[in-house]
Amino acid sequence: MDRRTVIKNLALVLGGAVLLPSCLHHDGTSYVQLKHINLSSDQQSLIADICETIIPKTNTPGAKDLNLPPFVLKMIDDCYNKKDQEAFLAGLNKFTDLVKSKYSSTFADLSAKDREAVLTGIENSAKTTAAAPKTPARRPKPQKNLASDPLMAFYWGVKQQTIFAYTTSQYFMTKQIFYDMVPGRYIVHYPVSKLKHV
Amino acid sequence: MANLNIDSVKARTFDAIVIGSGISGGWAAKELTGNGLKTLVLERGRDVKHIKDYPTTFKYPWEFPHHGQMPAEVTEANPIVSRCYAFGEDSAHFFVKDAEHPYVQTKPFDWIRGYQVGGKSLLWARQTQRWSDFDFEGPARDGFAVDWPIRYKDIAPWYSYVEKFAGIAGNKDGIPELPDGEFLPGYPLNDAEVYFSEHVKKNYKNRYVISARCAHLSKPNPIHLEQGRTQCQNRDLCQRGCPFGGYFSSNATTIPWAEKSGNMTLRPFSVVESIIYDEKLGKATGVRIVDTKTKETIEYYARIIFVNAAALNTNLVLLNSTSSRFPNGLGNDSGVLGKYVAFHNYSAHISAEFDGMKEWTVDGRSPTGGYIPRFRNVYKQETDFLRGYACGFGAHRYQQHKYDGVGAGLKEGLVKGDLSPWYVSSHMMGETIPKASNFVSLDTAKKDEWGVPLLNISVDYDDNDEKMKKDYIEQLTEMFTSAGFKNIQPSTNHQAPGLDIHEMGGARMGKDPKSSILNEWNQVHACKNVFVTDGACMTSTSCQNPSLTYMAITARAANHAVDELKKGNV
Repeated sequence: MDRRTVIKNLALVLGGAVLLPSCLHHDGTSYVQLKHINLSSDQQSLIADICETIIPKTNTPGAKDLNLPPFVLKMIDDCYNKKDQEAFLAGLNKFTDLVKSKYSSTFADLSAKDREAVLTGIENSAKTTAAAPKTPARRPKPQKNLASDPLMAFYWGVKQQTIFAYTTSQYFMTKQIFYDMVPGRYIVHYPVSKLKHV
Repeated sequence: MANLNIDSVKARTFDAIVIGSGISGGWAAKELTGNGLKTLVLERGRDVKHIKDYPTTFKYPWEFPHHGQMPAEVTEANPIVSRCYAFGEDSAHFFVKDAEHPYVQTKPFDWIRGYQVGGKSLLWARQTQRWSDFDFEGPARDGFAVDWPIRYKDIAPWYSYVEKFAGIAGNKDGIPELPDGEFLPGYPLNDAEVYFSEHVKKNYKNRYVISARCAHLSKPNPIHLEQGRTQCQNRDLCQRGCPFGGYFSSNATTIPWAEKSGNMTLRPFSVVESIIYDEKLGKATGVRIVDTKTKETIEYYARIIFVNAAALNTNLVLLNSTSSRFPNGLGNDSGVLGKYVAFHNYSAHISAEFDGMKEWTVDGRSPTGGYIPRFRNVYKQETDFLRGYACGFGAHRYQQHKYDGVGAGLKEGLVKGDLSPWYVSSHMMGETIPKASNFVSLDTAKKDEWGVPLLNISVDYDDNDEKMKKDYIEQLTEMFTSAGFKNIQPSTNHQAPGLDIHEMGGARMGKDPKSSILNEWNQVHACKNVFVTDGACMTSTSCQNPSLTYMAITARAANHAVDELKKGNV
């Protein structure tokens, strides 16, 4: 039987199982009912702005276009333990204070350039610590545990989850790369020159 | 099913009962029903129908609530099962959660279970290497456990029999210690794996790096199409259940086949409390189950009973089947029931970089990898430890992404990236020596919600395992070094027994009823109409992944049982 026919038949058998999960709100400020941590809508909005700074809209969609912030919040809410979440929340406050003391402003009111400078500043200060993952790597998955330093826990928590949200989004996996779910082949001795995306 | 009349003894009487529907129970069901026996298959968990009950099988990563990552709530509540490599957001529904079915760890033991029709056959690693006489003769030659009552010649035709039906991909490698079988085309080794294979062949006597045989349909035969299965599509998402039937599972293969015979009655939600022994008749007459939904106790009757509850649960069922004839468990005249449990030692790993073959890579995905058959102590004893280990071996490259910084540069770094050099890695699969001190027993106080005693597990590593682990690291380091691999990084871990998911023994086969539970046909010595053909029957473990051997042993025993029934011997 032809592979496509098989897939089509199976999809018929499964019916509703291939429907997409329901979407979250597209609103830029007020997002998600969280289960384990409390984040005000200002805090959620701050995290959304950080997501957008990490993956900005360029000639391709950015974090907010792709509705990544609600997923990032959900991951932080569901996939870290209490200790990591406490460090994360403490880091969030430190982050707000840091922006305030340096720019006498909120992150939201900063220019895009200054927003980038804040984040890369934090990232560069961590280059020598274990909080910073080694590069280059496979397309990264978020680490299971956050750094004990609150500012790093917060920054890397948001960054790793934003990258994860982006690289596992339907947009990225279908438009930026091709996720081959059903390769139907294993070819060895394959010339590197024939690979796409390299 | 709904029409089962529990008031009628007749309706509860079958020719055969099979306890368990996993990899060996499925085979028992297929063979017994195929020989015309009306067979009741009991499964403690729910039914899982091929394809229909694989809810995640077509999902893309973004369709999972956490895109595949596990919520902390789940991992914290289930530390044991969370350690299993195959437990994830796409497969969690096929695993027993820690709190659902507690057991007592007298010593740390990660007991990984799958309570559903098909059992762990949905989740297995699908590696299928035959045993040889170097394995079956191990205990007798090296003076441990007891002598196996069978040899390779007894099981070889049954390996062929199950391989043809299950579909095994592999190459004829001509290695005496890892006999060839009935193979579909083998999956190729990639360039770096071929390089290492040739290096090893040239420089080491009796060491081989081959493509691991695996239960995947590389090119299906008519018999596989007849089962409704098609070619493996290299998805590498096997733990979700395969919609193509690309790999062997009970759900895709033996259970539907048994069902098609019209002779099978499948009863999910049926936990076996004990096997009923009739003192006057001197044999087992049936089983007592608890319906896990209604908590009702029901008896079913049959002329023969196959116990395939998975190694440790089979021990539990036998230990809990007491009578005045067998006060210490069914068939336990020798006192060895529950003892001599062993497993596979997976606690060492090594990785390195290979700077060659840079212009080559692979396209698509392989369902298997490289395999190094046991080379230690094969032809003679040559080390300060008994037996040896097989090794998994694989090489891969990946696209190296940059995720420094933020913004447009980061976005580009996540898409682009040079191909890495080849990374090679290997893990050990060591034989462990069965000992009386590694055992399971019934807890005297604690019971589960169906009134069945909890299982105490007391299994640990020993000095032999430590020495073997050390040797693995030394040998592989040396082989990697001589192959020119760089940045060689050996690592050892202290994973608890059980996480290998190769627990075996407790109701071992043997020639002498005084020191074993089962005879050469897997019949309980002292109760010949009860057959045990899952991992519990294993006298020793060797170092091959055991499922193929369970399949062959089961098919052999089931056909023997049919013959004995016909002759009126059981």
